Amino acid sequence: MITNRSFRLRLTFWSLSRRRSRLLVALTGVTAGATVLLGLLTLCYDLPRQLGREFRAYGANLVLVASGTGRLTVSDIQKAQALWPENKTVGVTPFRYESVRNRLRPYTAVGTDFEQVRKTSPFWHLTGKWPEEPGELLVGADIAENTDLKPDSFVTLDGRNKKQERYEKDFRIVGTLATGGPEDGFLFMTLSDLEQMTGETGEADLAEVSLTMDEAALSALTGIIKSSISGLEGRLVTKVTYSETAVLSKLTYLVYLVTLVVLALTMICVTTTMMTVVLERRKEIGLKKALGAESSRVGREFLAEGLLIGVLGGLLGSLGGLLFSRIITISVFGRALMPQFYLIPVTVLVMVLVTIVACRAPVKKAVAVDPALVLRGE
Amino acid sequence: MLLKMVLKAIGRQRRKHYLIALTVGLGVSLATAMLGVMFDVGDKVNQELKSYGANLNIVPKGASMLGELYQTEDTAAEAENVNQENFIPEKELYKIKMIFWAYNIVDFAPYLSVPVEINGQKIILTGTWFNRHLKLPTGDEVDTGMTALKSWWKITGSPGDDGDTSGLLVGRDAAGRLGLKPGDSFSAKAKGKAVDLKVRGVFDSGGPDDGLIFAPLSLAQELSGQAGLVERVEVSALTTPENELARRAAANPGSLSRMEWDTWYCTAYISSIAYQLEEILPGARVKAIRQVAESEGAILTKIQLMMILLTVLTLLCSALAISNLVSAGIMERSVEIGLLKALGASDLSIMFLVLLELFLVALIGGVIGYLIGLGLAQLIGLTVFGASVPVKAAVIPLTCLMVLAVTTVGSLPALRSLLKLEATEVLHGR
Repeated sequence: MITNRSFRLRLTFWSLSRRRSRLLVALTGVTAGATVLLGLLTLCYDLPRQLGREFRAYGANLVLVASGTGRLTVSDIQKAQALWPENKTVGVTPFRYESVRNRLRPYTAVGTDFEQVRKTSPFWHLTGKWPEEPGELLVGADIAENTDLKPDSFVTLDGRNKKQERYEKDFRIVGTLATGGPEDGFLFMTLSDLEQMTGETGEADLAEVSLTMDEAALSALTGIIKSSISGLEGRLVTKVTYSETAVLSKLTYLVYLVTLVVLALTMICVTTTMMTVVLERRKEIGLKKALGAESSRVGREFLAEGLLIGVLGGLLGSLGGLLFSRIITISVFGRALMPQFYLIPVTVLVMVLVTIVACRAPVKKAVAVDPALVLRGE
Repeated sequence: MLLKMVLKAIGRQRRKHYLIALTVGLGVSLATAMLGVMFDVGDKVNQELKSYGANLNIVPKGASMLGELYQTEDTAAEAENVNQENFIPEKELYKIKMIFWAYNIVDFAPYLSVPVEINGQKIILTGTWFNRHLKLPTGDEVDTGMTALKSWWKITGSPGDDGDTSGLLVGRDAAGRLGLKPGDSFSAKAKGKAVDLKVRGVFDSGGPDDGLIFAPLSLAQELSGQAGLVERVEVSALTTPENELARRAAANPGSLSRMEWDTWYCTAYISSIAYQLEEILPGARVKAIRQVAESEGAILTKIQLMMILLTVLTLLCSALAISNLVSAGIMERSVEIGLLKALGASDLSIMFLVLLELFLVALIGGVIGYLIGLGLAQLIGLTVFGASVPVKAAVIPLTCLMVLAVTTVGSLPALRSLLKLEATEVLHGR
């Protein structure tokens, strides 16, 4: 004997499989809707972070300096690095400035870590190669243009350290650096070369830090730095943080708004598709009623169908949505995004709701009409 | 007869046609809004990125090294020997707004620094235009100056004023060192002369500017005895992201062919704007500030690419929805088509009839959708950027083409199955 429930189940599946094209239409509609929904939700979630990372192209947003008049020590910089999460760090570059001379002309020599510089200041434009070996030197573009310190030549730099001892060291110029800023007038070498030359180690004038954090988080961080390491102070590079906050919030807002518009329109599209599919079946509803089915039962059957299509379309669309957001982040930012799996049940739920809402109105109308009229084709 | 049939059909199945028109309308409004925003997002974001400040630095050819190299040293000795070659005449500056890409110059400000002694301490005082109103020979009027250029400065007290020739803006660090606060009056010495000055405001720039003092340009010129001269100009310009051509041109403009040169000169690359500024200000060298210029390009290209991808993918989805609904609508018509077939209609005329009907409905929906889409684009532009999104003429043919293609392609599978129908079977009710 066929129980009521299994009969109803069978009726649902039968009605779905009987007209495969109709199922396909409804399913495609729901799947497309779910793809857009999940894809955009994931993007919305991830975009501020991705864009924030892009904005690091503008360089450091935090500078570590000594709070007094003296210098900061390299060990303090290392201590400070423990105060922010590793995965938010783009780069930490120490800088140390010394006045040196070459054949009596004064220059500013800068000791730094070139591997980190490439991360914190990606806009530095180098002709030649980065110094790797000891004794290699970069010259700023202005110096290269106006003096005889040209690439591939050898220079001797000399000066006096704090104890007034004279030092001297030979360098080979391996490249020129153009930034359009004050760096164009400096000489760059590795920090260890500068330390070896002057005989003073473990010091730096400042450290540029590039972190994927917003202005508020950075301000909080400066407070933590001040209270936990004495003699060290973190300062926001306001030019970068302020502008980033302004631009980033607008961009995020733009994406949210676009998402909202696209989602609203897509959901209406899905609704109209589902409505058409149901509208088409008025005759079937009439027949069912003529055979004695109660209106509520017909309604429930359609709800069950909507549920099934919603779940199936939602699941398929979730796959599509993950692909959708992946395509965008990989082709735009060159990084895969973290899929937010909890968004999948949300998507399925929304799609089920949409299909049920879409089915309700036309079914209600069809049920209300006298079956005789519907069957006659009016 | 044909028209009558089509109109009758539309009138008869009103509800379903509403739905098709609605979906097409929604798709079109989505396309219009997204395309509109996509075409405009580059300009808008570019405008926003201007808050990062100047991207060009104009320095005199002769002095391109001195100021920056000796910044930490005592510049008094050098300042004694005023060499015209090391400065740019202030009266030439209006020309910056008269180059080919004048409308892309958002802002510029000149600088002239002079060492002064305040409370016995040496410090650099920099003269500039805070907010200068310029009348150009072309009849245009522009406002330009440092206040707009350095929008990130946090000023306590009142902002700088060009008219107040003794009012200063003091950097946070400088104020701390000299013990100054807004409203203070004091006496300063420059080259032996004593002047009375007062602090209008203290600013926090979060950068090296914090150690400086800014004053109206005329004050700095008077103190240094360099009347009518400036030593540096910062320019903020809207630019197009660099490409291969621009890089080659920047390296050596002479290496381009005539055609390439024209293209380069007439595109707002940072290098071509720099070149044009050098043309109009002889004796000056124009350097791109890479921190701003490079990053702008990188971010702009990314955002444009993102919007394009987002637009294409959403358009694909809306196209899918439209074609989906269209095929659902056609399939339902099997009885009617069967009857037409039984009456002897050819396949071609049936197709024509169905498609004509669809296009009529899609056209109505499309026009309404286009208008809604324009509204949506404006809504997005106004709420996000506070500026309207101009209507690009290219959007109309693009959306028309999309609707046409989508309705045709979308109805093809359904049409094929309709044509395969056997009249007798359909009319029998199977």
